[in-house]
Amino acid sequence: MAITRRELFVSIGKAGIPAAVALTVGAETLQAETIPIPSAAVGLLYDASICIGCKACVAACAEANDTPPDTRGDQLHQAPSDLNDLTRNVIKLYKPEDGSAFSYVKRQCMHCLDPACAAGCPFQALHKDPESGIVKWDSDKCIGCRYCTITCPYHVPRFQWMGFNPRVTKCELCSPRLEKGLQPGCTSVCPTGAVIFGPRTVLLSEAHSRIKKEPGRYYQGRVYGEKDNGGTQSLYLSRVAFEKLGLPELGPESVPARTLRWQRRLYQYFALPAVLYVSLVQVIRKSLKGHEQEAHEHEKETGLRAQL
Amino acid sequence: MSKHPTIAEHLQASGVSRRSFLQFCSVLMATAPVGMSLTGKTLHQMAATIGKTKRPSVIWLHFQDCTGCTETLLRTSAPDVAHLILDVISLDYHETLMAASGAQAEAALNSAISDNAGKYVLVVEGAIPTRDDGVYMQLAGRPAVQVVREVAAQSAAVIAIGSCASWGGVPSAEPNPTGAVGVNFVVSGKPIINLPGCPPNPYNLLAVVLEYVTMGKLPEMDELSRPKFAYDRVIHENCPRRAHFDAGRFALAFGDAGHRQGWCLYKLGCKGPVTHASCSTRHFNEIPGVWPIGIGAPCLGCTEKSVVWRMGTFETVPIHLATPPDTYPPIYSAVGGIKVGAAALVGAIAGAAGGATWVASQRFQSSQEAGAERLEVDRAHAETLKPSSASLPDKPRPDKPLPHKKES
Amino acid sequence: MSTATLDTQTGSRLLANAAASKPRWERAVPVYGFPVVNRFFVALLAMTGLAFVLTGYRELAGLGPVSGMNDAYGWGIWKTFNVMVLTGLGSGAFAVGIAPWVFRRKRLHALMRMALLTSFLAYACGLLLLGIDAGRPWNFYWIVFPWKWNMHSPLAEVAICMSIYATIPLAIENIPPVLERLWYFDSRLRPGVEKFERRLHYFFPWIIAAAYLLPGMHQSSLGALMLLAGERVHPLWQSPWLPLLYLGAASFMSFGCVAGATMLCCVMWKRAMDMEILDEAARITAWLIFGWLGLRLLDIVFRGALGTAFHADRFAGVFWLETFLIAGGGWMLWRSLRTHKTQTMFLGYVLSSLGGMIYRFSPTTLAFRPNPESLYFPTTIEILVSFGFICMGVAGFLLVVKRFGILPAPLQEWHNMAAYFRFRRPYIRWTGYFEHGFFSDDELEREQQLELTDSD
Repeated sequence: MAITRRELFVSIGKAGIPAAVALTVGAETLQAETIPIPSAAVGLLYDASICIGCKACVAACAEANDTPPDTRGDQLHQAPSDLNDLTRNVIKLYKPEDGSAFSYVKRQCMHCLDPACAAGCPFQALHKDPESGIVKWDSDKCIGCRYCTITCPYHVPRFQWMGFNPRVTKCELCSPRLEKGLQPGCTSVCPTGAVIFGPRTVLLSEAHSRIKKEPGRYYQGRVYGEKDNGGTQSLYLSRVAFEKLGLPELGPESVPARTLRWQRRLYQYFALPAVLYVSLVQVIRKSLKGHEQEAHEHEKETGLRAQL
Repeated sequence: MSKHPTIAEHLQASGVSRRSFLQFCSVLMATAPVGMSLTGKTLHQMAATIGKTKRPSVIWLHFQDCTGCTETLLRTSAPDVAHLILDVISLDYHETLMAASGAQAEAALNSAISDNAGKYVLVVEGAIPTRDDGVYMQLAGRPAVQVVREVAAQSAAVIAIGSCASWGGVPSAEPNPTGAVGVNFVVSGKPIINLPGCPPNPYNLLAVVLEYVTMGKLPEMDELSRPKFAYDRVIHENCPRRAHFDAGRFALAFGDAGHRQGWCLYKLGCKGPVTHASCSTRHFNEIPGVWPIGIGAPCLGCTEKSVVWRMGTFETVPIHLATPPDTYPPIYSAVGGIKVGAAALVGAIAGAAGGATWVASQRFQSSQEAGAERLEVDRAHAETLKPSSASLPDKPRPDKPLPHKKES
Repeated sequence: MSTATLDTQTGSRLLANAAASKPRWERAVPVYGFPVVNRFFVALLAMTGLAFVLTGYRELAGLGPVSGMNDAYGWGIWKTFNVMVLTGLGSGAFAVGIAPWVFRRKRLHALMRMALLTSFLAYACGLLLLGIDAGRPWNFYWIVFPWKWNMHSPLAEVAICMSIYATIPLAIENIPPVLERLWYFDSRLRPGVEKFERRLHYFFPWIIAAAYLLPGMHQSSLGALMLLAGERVHPLWQSPWLPLLYLGAASFMSFGCVAGATMLCCVMWKRAMDMEILDEAARITAWLIFGWLGLRLLDIVFRGALGTAFHADRFAGVFWLETFLIAGGGWMLWRSLRTHKTQTMFLGYVLSSLGGMIYRFSPTTLAFRPNPESLYFPTTIEILVSFGFICMGVAGFLLVVKRFGILPAPLQEWHNMAAYFRFRRPYIRWTGYFEHGFFSDDELEREQQLELTDSD
């Protein structure tokens, strides 16, 4: 039968028109979808121009999270070269060779409003708390696939490579301390107040007032994380370009929204797969009938049992 | 003057100027800025408090000692201060400093005890031997264990000065033939405070004594009965050479360039990271820099029972609370690399696969004809294998009965 | 029925075909006359054993000591090669299956069993390694609770879809050869087998449709995986069309794998090749390749990334390598249709599949730049485990192909096989595929006679 392709498309079309309508409507709602900001969103404001690079926050973070200091570098100092399975918070130095302005930068989880790590996590081990907005890791659900280490645009979650019970480590804003009414470890020891903790709205207004007070002090007069990557709860002010500090320019759309748009649309309510499945079944039924007929004929010809 | 004058009265009578006294009080404040209620006041308040207090009676006993702790009390750089110390406290019995000896000394001890019963502070210097009924140290024919218990029984508080009195010190080093132990091992029922060190800082003793007599209580102590104001931190936390440690600048041999420049002595076996003491902030002889590390000798850990005379002098200690160094990681760190063996293995597998594919592809040329040929051959062969239908015996197989279908 | 009583008309047609060197594949016939256990097979088993031992070590020591994966490159060759690349090669059940079942290219039915077997083995290998690569595999049980799935996650889609696909539709589609063997093996089983087969055939449309829907979903989701990595994948590969391109690559790769493997098997075991079917497969593959190349080129041009292809760096190098391999392979396939040279066709399949493998491997490893300073290269243990499980797949293939009817052949081959098994040693007879599976009384006697003559 030579009308196969037409048949297929016709049957898809028949079942597909209502589905297509649903998808279009759904797509429109997706486009208008904005990223919700949690009701009690808390975060950090780090002003790189005030930071003196004392690294008290690095030591305090390890202590607050009951993690042994990472001395794997020289077996003497707590000197992680980057975030890792023992380090949730690190101070790095950007020092250009031409002697122009240098800056320290504190790197920890950005607690994005639409986190790519949570978007990619298969069983929602990394999930965003709906009230505080803190992105937490649940050891009961994690399968150790390390997809979060790949999807996070800031390269924050780190996997524990040694041992048979590995965990994923990243800053969780010291939630146990917050519950007791304490500040996170890093902000409680910062001697200059370079990093401060508070509700996101308060931090944003503080950042903007600093920019207004000293225009020209901060790079592009903007707060990184206000809109970047769809908005984050860890905000940055800096004298030098954010990219030089390792904070990529991602644009106002969050990574999941930008990259998974079609994936989300095509699988919306599983409509398209279901439609395809039904039409495939129809087509194959017809095919199968023809195939079985031929097989039986062949069986009669050869005297050997048909191989279906 | 009354029999028990206040400190202020005594100082006045001794001709000590108020200025000297205030200086003395300020040194005490520097000794213990926190951890003592006495120093939680302003200078004048503190001077007044001390001035009002009756001059405390101190009985000082020596056992298995080297008298170093006494020396530390006296080896002040300014002689006035030594005198001042002896003016502030009333040292009613001290074997090194008193003139009496023999029976007179015994009598002095007894009268000191009876005169101030229940009120004097007992300072013990030196360890107390316990083996063989304590015969290795006897005072007027009586074992030290007995003496200390008797004297402590009538004291208000016991201060164990020096490592020997605190936990046994030098005499207790392996193999400890005399069974030397600290005071709190043999005395109970009285408040005991340990001031380990070999020797300890004299101002620590003074602060403790004054706190006790003015405020009526001993300063806050840790679990080893050491006052927290002096022993809560390790040397490493307050060491003036810490910046060199953080920056990774270590003296590697005595007299080398680093040593001469005053670099960190950690790699020479400094026990600072595990030693609780106040030496790094309060140096000795009232001169800054006069302390072991300050003169280029690594700390021995003389206050710690598990460190000094147990660990090697040049043995490095582990850092229990690692802290960040003086270096910074760059924005992007290098990670990962290629191992030669693995690369070779990949190459080998790829080469083998490629070679096999090439060899296989060569065989394609002749295969097509061969396939058809074989069919022919096989068919002919199959024909030849079919046996003739000559008559055969009609017997079933004897051992393995084959299940067979009945021909219908 | 014995060879001699074949229907004369069919028989003469078949013989004529054979004589005219235009063999036709009519039946899937087990490979006979070649022992399963030979040196090569033992070597494969040894590699598999080594892989299992190293896997045990990995489970105890963690992923760090055994692999070259690091903080910058969280995925190593276990995920990116054995899962992403090999399941692409193993999409035969999908691509080679869709052609006859949906697009009614009936001739390709002959390749179906090969496609299903290679797919099953590739997916088994891939899923095993997916389990080994996961750091906390004991939490996989959440797969049983659909409401806990994060359906926005491409990885969830891949893992869940692949698992369901391999265990249900693919496994079920691989059952018919087993049933066939049971039917021939013991006549007491026949009624049960036939009943089971009827039940199975009743559900076939749903199972087969699932067997095309699910791979379509997860092969494209394998492409979507790297979408979330954004800028870190080099612009020559990172594209919104990544899912579709991955699906397309899977199609022509799997054709290459199935048809190429079939050709290789025919050569190794001296079977005839049906050039009509192989030509059709080559034609389809060539069209798939050219279509895919066109789509890829358009995608690169429209995204403005073409310039990067001419930089002098390793990314451009990989791009041109894979493009040349795929294009070269496609061209060779096209040529082989004219020249009728099987060697060209085989090499065409090999090259295009190799290029496709490199394409699917690049976005996760070769073209993945998490930070300017980092590097990834697998360790020896990683390579041995990966290779060992591939050897397991190959060993499984060799075993199955010699015991079940998978490899297509002309009808004559079946009769030859039946004859081979009937008249050899007794113990082999019981594993044979004779027409009715049991001896008639005449045959019993003949066999006895043979034994008596043998023992003389």
